[in-house]
Amino acid sequence: MTMRLLTALPLAIALAMPAAAQDSYPDRSVRIVHGFGAGGNADTVSRILADAMTEGLGQPVVVESRPGAGGTLASGYVAAADPDGYTLQLMVGGHTVAAGLYTSLPYESVDDFTFLSIIGQFPFFIAARSGEYETLAEVIEAATADPGSIRIGHSGVGSTQHLTGELLDIETSADFLHVPYAGGAAAVTAMMGGEVDLVIDTGTAIFGQADAGVLDVLAVTSSERWPDNPDVPTVAETVAPGFNVVSWTGLGAPAGLPDDVVEVLTAEISRVMALEAVRERIAALGAAPVGSSSAEFQELVEGQIATWTEVIETAGVERR
Amino acid sequence: MDQAEHTAASLPERAAGGVVLLAFGIAMLAIGWDYPVGRLTQMGPGYLPMAIGTLVCLLSAAILWLDLSDTGIAAGPAIQWRGLIFVSAAILVFAGLVEATGLVPAMFLAVVVSKLADRNNRPLGILVYAVLATIAGWLLFLVVLELPFPAFWR
Amino acid sequence: MLEQFVTGLGVVLQPEVLVYAFAGVLIGQLIGVLPGIGAITAISLLLPITFHLDAMSSMIMLAGIYYGSQYGGSIASILLNLPGTPSSVVTCLEGYPLSQNGRAGVALFTAAFSSFAGGIIGVAIVVLAAIPMTTIALRFGAPEYAMLVVLGLLAASLVGTGSNLRSLAMVLVGVALGMIGADATTGYYRYVAMPELADGISLVSLAMGLFGVSEIIRNAASRTGGVTQPKISMKDIFPTRQEARSLPGPILRGAGVGSFFGALPGTGAAIASFMAYAVERRFSRFGARFGKGHLPGLSAPEAANNAAAQTGFIPTLTLGVPGDAVMALMIGALILNGIIPGPRLMVDEPVLFWGVIASFFVGNIILLLINVPLIRLWVLMLRVPYQKLYPVIIIMICVGVYSHRTSVVDVVLTLVFGILGYLMKNYRFEPAPVLLGFVLGPLLEDNFRRAMLLYRGDFTIFVTRPISGVLFAITVLLVGFSIYSAIAQRRRVRARNEATTQ
Repeated sequence: MTMRLLTALPLAIALAMPAAAQDSYPDRSVRIVHGFGAGGNADTVSRILADAMTEGLGQPVVVESRPGAGGTLASGYVAAADPDGYTLQLMVGGHTVAAGLYTSLPYESVDDFTFLSIIGQFPFFIAARSGEYETLAEVIEAATADPGSIRIGHSGVGSTQHLTGELLDIETSADFLHVPYAGGAAAVTAMMGGEVDLVIDTGTAIFGQADAGVLDVLAVTSSERWPDNPDVPTVAETVAPGFNVVSWTGLGAPAGLPDDVVEVLTAEISRVMALEAVRERIAALGAAPVGSSSAEFQELVEGQIATWTEVIETAGVERR
Repeated sequence: MDQAEHTAASLPERAAGGVVLLAFGIAMLAIGWDYPVGRLTQMGPGYLPMAIGTLVCLLSAAILWLDLSDTGIAAGPAIQWRGLIFVSAAILVFAGLVEATGLVPAMFLAVVVSKLADRNNRPLGILVYAVLATIAGWLLFLVVLELPFPAFWR
Repeated sequence: MLEQFVTGLGVVLQPEVLVYAFAGVLIGQLIGVLPGIGAITAISLLLPITFHLDAMSSMIMLAGIYYGSQYGGSIASILLNLPGTPSSVVTCLEGYPLSQNGRAGVALFTAAFSSFAGGIIGVAIVVLAAIPMTTIALRFGAPEYAMLVVLGLLAASLVGTGSNLRSLAMVLVGVALGMIGADATTGYYRYVAMPELADGISLVSLAMGLFGVSEIIRNAASRTGGVTQPKISMKDIFPTRQEARSLPGPILRGAGVGSFFGALPGTGAAIASFMAYAVERRFSRFGARFGKGHLPGLSAPEAANNAAAQTGFIPTLTLGVPGDAVMALMIGALILNGIIPGPRLMVDEPVLFWGVIASFFVGNIILLLINVPLIRLWVLMLRVPYQKLYPVIIIMICVGVYSHRTSVVDVVLTLVFGILGYLMKNYRFEPAPVLLGFVLGPLLEDNFRRAMLLYRGDFTIFVTRPISGVLFAITVLLVGFSIYSAIAQRRRVRARNEATTQ
């Protein structure tokens, strides 16, 4: 406790000082804003980065949660913030879904942002109750034979998990019943209780149960087998060639960030992404820790916006 | 306890509760009119708003009728305008300032404004009190709890 | 089970582990007192520390913050009518009137003791019945949740002091407020007047506004300025012998209700404390005393929400699926330590599993020990004139609400609900049922619609599924009993009237 208070004191004083001299970036605290609740994946990744970047930038990096409207409130807030490098955003795959899902957004999903670096990439896994199905092909067969009989639980309408399920519908002959739950954990619980047949979610949400033999992992949504789980076949190799869904977290900022600031930040991010402790923590969250160039990040975002916009349209998901 | 508690409520006073509730129900129905309703077995997003809106209207009508026919209802306490105005102003001041000027000025002015609700205060007393309260707030929220908000404008 | 528990106890009582249990409950308790800054904010702020701690210490500390904040939440509710969570709304109902009558010490002691007893009973259930409880929890599907909420809402029409018609209207207003935002089943926007409302109104805004801000408006400018508390000595915080005798029943019933509801993922403490209160009120011989500072009405929901806070760990620990956001945070802390929680946690990490459970037991004892001496301090705070206190309370509410979602709109909404709550009370409408409708309404709608989706619009599932059927039967009995007792009472009154006219 005492130690904590002691470490807190300089930070608080730094926070309390109004900007004194505008020397070089950064000369005061930097915020990482994200659009999700405290304790969610985005929050945890932000805190891992903030914890590590505080050291390298020599200024406190603080995390600010501005949850609401699928993360779009935070995106709107960051898009409108000064491009000075003191407001960063932890972006997630949902940013690309929102581009297609919302009828009017207060920002341009690509043009209003500086994409700094991808932080982590992770696939989704498709799981069923233990012993129900051997392969994904079997499931697709059953769902084709009796439309609507196979129920997929997902973590909320318009979530990437939901749309991945819809994409599976589109790419195969199957016709699933998509059942919304309040979050992935509720969907997994419902599957264990027998209320739904399949769940599509991240590795962390599924492997605890799979290791205990309660669930069988049938497939992974990435185009190649996932390095950490080489035994799990891909959707692409079993039922839908070309199927590829990989979600991500990344660090962005408002558009128009000065070049020198971009340089400082990208250098710091690649330093942090090389740290063993950071890599371990991000890997523990089920993601492959991958730094990237700004261009690679932007390309990923543009590609996914196109995919999800089409899925939303084809599947007839209610736009808002 | 105020003397007012024992006098009977006037007609508008008795009607107010039911009328406001009725307005709330009608607003629910009006705004939610275009939401897709669906059927009971396949509810659309508009089903419950319609159902609840209708129920609120019915209940408010019943409450209105009961309140109007009961002349024995005691009048509620008089509205504390002073408290209402200055407490509201204080919270609005905080809301308006917190993102523009940071936490410390927002807290300081909110305390000053809210203190005006109190009848027996002197300018110097308010000032000293506000400074002390602001320092306490700064220590609590920014030093001890480390809430990620700037203390001042940037 | 008991053997492993004792082993776990041995682990927790090591000084280097005990210090985290102590730190956790103390931080939780202190943060819980602050209005609006709840366990989630506290835990997420402290999460980075757990990067540097082992899994056991992290879990023990974070869990301590969680149930410690439940204790703390009661204090603000009793002293200042400031509920930070839906379960502490129920605490306000009896606790605040007691404090207004100069009995804050007794209220705080009763709350602390009931919380302690409820917590210990909850821990006992976790130790002895975690696995059977898990089995039951898994059998709760959409139809069961829907029926459970119907039962809860019916019981709730008994909450509040006004007439049933007015309570019902307020429950519906709460349900209506709960509909604001994106519809969970289709994502359709309802009553979203601005983007900040897309995820709905924040519960913290609603509770703080209706209860806390309205009370400040009422008292800030009043000439008398609230009650001055009498000086109290240590013996004034204990209930009288007669009162003490009336408490074991409510505590046991409350803890029972709480333990059951807590183990259901996602519903937890809020329903538990409302149900416990409704049960007490329904079956009490002193129904008329409720709402005016009736001790059993305080002690039952306190026992319930703390029992629920402990059994809430059951799905998290036995299945690895978090029941709510706080549990998700704790699972996150485990994951960061390289442990993916799942059904095998108990087998693979027995020391961690039983150590954490044993820490609940120790934590509850620590909480009681630090709470009782603190009571005098809290009551002393009430001796500060209200005029010196309320501006500080206002900024605490503002900062607390703002920090919750970093949203200015939430702060303004808190004021709107504050004014609403103030005016409501003047026109004899009670705020508590609004909160209940707000919490339960969306739960009912989601689960009902999910049930219809899953079972293709077949209504019979509500009676044919065993648990749902039982809940349905209880609901019918409750309605029947209410009608019967209403008729019986009317008959009694008529008989008395006839007797007096003759």
